[in-house]
Amino acid sequence: MTTVAGPAGTARPSASALARPAWRAARPTPLMLRWTLIGLVGVSLLWGAAAAWTVAQHASAAGDVVTTIEPLSVDAQQIYRALSDADATAATSFLSGGLEPLPVRQRYLSDIARAASGLEAATAAATAAGQSSAAAPLARLTDDLPVYAGMVETARADYRLGYPLGAAYLREASTLMRTALLPAASDLYAQENARLAAADGQATGLPYLAGALAVVAAYVLLRAQRWLARRTHRVFNRGLLAASAVGLVSAAWLFGALTLARGHLLDARDHGSAPVEALARADIAALRGHSDESLTLVDNDGDDAFQKDFLAVAKQLGPGPGTLLTGAAGAARGSAGARQAAAAAAGAPAWYAVHGQLRFLDDTGQHAAAVQLAIGSGPGDSGRLFARLDTGLASAIGQDQNAFRAAGQTGRDDLAGLEIGMIAASLLMAAGCAWGLVARLAEYR
Amino acid sequence: MNRRVVPAGLALAGLAAGLLVAGSSAPGPPASAAGVGPILAASAVTPTAGRTGRSTTPPCDPTASLRPAGPPRVTPGSFMAKIRAHGYLVAGIDPTRYHFSYLNPLKGQIQGFEIDLLHAIAAAIFGNPYDIRFRPLQDAQRIPDLRSGAVDIVAQDFVITCTRKKAIDFSTVYLASGQQVLVESDSPFKHVTSLGQLAGKKVCAVTGSLSLANVAAATPHPIPVAAPYWTDCMVLLQQGDVAAVSTVSTVLLGLAAQDPYARIVSPLLDSEPEGLGISQEHPDFVRFVNAVLVQLRSDGQWAQSYARWIGTPVPAPPPARYSG
Repeated sequence: MTTVAGPAGTARPSASALARPAWRAARPTPLMLRWTLIGLVGVSLLWGAAAAWTVAQHASAAGDVVTTIEPLSVDAQQIYRALSDADATAATSFLSGGLEPLPVRQRYLSDIARAASGLEAATAAATAAGQSSAAAPLARLTDDLPVYAGMVETARADYRLGYPLGAAYLREASTLMRTALLPAASDLYAQENARLAAADGQATGLPYLAGALAVVAAYVLLRAQRWLARRTHRVFNRGLLAASAVGLVSAAWLFGALTLARGHLLDARDHGSAPVEALARADIAALRGHSDESLTLVDNDGDDAFQKDFLAVAKQLGPGPGTLLTGAAGAARGSAGARQAAAAAAGAPAWYAVHGQLRFLDDTGQHAAAVQLAIGSGPGDSGRLFARLDTGLASAIGQDQNAFRAAGQTGRDDLAGLEIGMIAASLLMAAGCAWGLVARLAEYR
Repeated sequence: MNRRVVPAGLALAGLAAGLLVAGSSAPGPPASAAGVGPILAASAVTPTAGRTGRSTTPPCDPTASLRPAGPPRVTPGSFMAKIRAHGYLVAGIDPTRYHFSYLNPLKGQIQGFEIDLLHAIAAAIFGNPYDIRFRPLQDAQRIPDLRSGAVDIVAQDFVITCTRKKAIDFSTVYLASGQQVLVESDSPFKHVTSLGQLAGKKVCAVTGSLSLANVAAATPHPIPVAAPYWTDCMVLLQQGDVAAVSTVSTVLLGLAAQDPYARIVSPLLDSEPEGLGISQEHPDFVRFVNAVLVQLRSDGQWAQSYARWIGTPVPAPPPARYSG
């Protein structure tokens, strides 16, 4: 590096265009070789860095999706659905007259427990992730859940004494649920879904930087070898050849693994989280309709606010073009829960028909018969038809959630070991380049 | 719209719209209590001119009804015969008023003092007191549903007024009621003789009720708070969101019976006689119902029902007054 030994004088580095043909044929100077060496090692290391960075980005996004964000989204969904179910169940439990049926009471209690545990998990996770936007809905849920449960228990105590005041407490509880708790839960769920979509997008994004560097590295290696081949009259430089081979293998591994992972993660989204979200929205709407139905019977004062809400919910729910059930069945097509989702969508009109019959009975003074339709478990009862819709959607959600986890984990595992592999490969490439060019440089000693 | 000075019946709708509907938001804890803010300058509504028992010279005799033609009989071609052919009596009720007309949550049955009257009328028509279909009505629906024939009779806390008598008929008075004040036992109000004593305090009544208009019209001014149902007012009272509930005794007695700490702390502040509402197209049915009421007053059933649902001592039943 310090002394220019050998036939330095013969070479005139890129002096004039006229000298070029002679210069091309001449042997490379050590300076040129040294620069080539530095360039090749640099390109190898850059490729390794870009590849490793890409892998790290994708792997951490995929890991986040599978291990933290998806569970959080499930927590948020669990809070939302558990609260909707509590609202519907609380309204139903006092319809029957006399003691509320034990299974209904237990369902309500387990709803509250699920909502509370989901809330605890979501709060811990949001604090850990420093997710400040979730703080407001979480605080609202934490504040209002005990107030809600308190009002339901007051209603229960009043009902046990035979006081119609219980209906007022139940109505107030339901109003609190619908105006404060459910909107907060919906907000939280929307936030978690947006985060899931963002992380999913990052994990399945196309690796432009790594792709560009792969092209650059390939080009530089190829040019360097051709140049050396011409100037040294050796067809192959073993070091550079080895570096090229390692580069090729590492690129194939990287892009192969990314493609594979992307496929699995897209599958997890299209046949997992996307249908789960659509199904959950439909299920929440169905629960609201069920709650409305019970409240039209509890709130037996000729006021048709809950009936209006039921009709609005039924319209939203569908089935029909642009409705929640049709959307969910469409999103679930080809997923594990497809069959249940389609069956649930097909069963909804039967529920609406019985609901119409129920309202007719109640409106014409046949309250007891209407209540029987609402809570009955016979094949033509509203309670049974709703339960079929609800359990169909819930089991489709469960299956698609499992499908999401399986595909998501596979997608994440596709990237396992890749980061270390890329670093090792780039070091090997750099070593190959160095070995190949140092051998040429040595010829000048 | 609540700044207009309008006669009683019309004032109610505007008044209700101007009020915050407290019960429709979460009542609960202090947070939402702030939502039930002071609402309306009570001076916006003039004292309810033309209201029964308040005006000095009544423009009509509201409590006088049609004289029965002897004991109740279902004559051929009468409206009672039509009801009998139909198979059941359709009665408009409000099933949220404990002890007067309520859905007993333990039995799933509608019961109460007013329901006893309806059973007696059904028994007189059909021989079976249970041939009734109860139609829950909102207060504002009572007159339209009677006029359209959607219901045969309304037994729903229906105060007889001259304004209403222009649209429908009433039976003779079955209960002498009047506005009173209900508070919790820890309230500083121990004896209230006028609504003005509650000045500056929140007082709950149902949207669109005469009671709410009375609260708004009182001087000095209490703060009227409107809720959709009487039981919602009770929830607000129990949660400490309002200082008092004020309406007719037939509602307050039922609310007080559901809370051992609730006290009625005023005498009847006015006279609000209650009758059964019937369409003006069926004077034969009015006479028939009045005949049933005569029987109930004389054979002790009225007193028995009063003792069962309202309590003892049982006063004498309000005397029947007739005008034709």
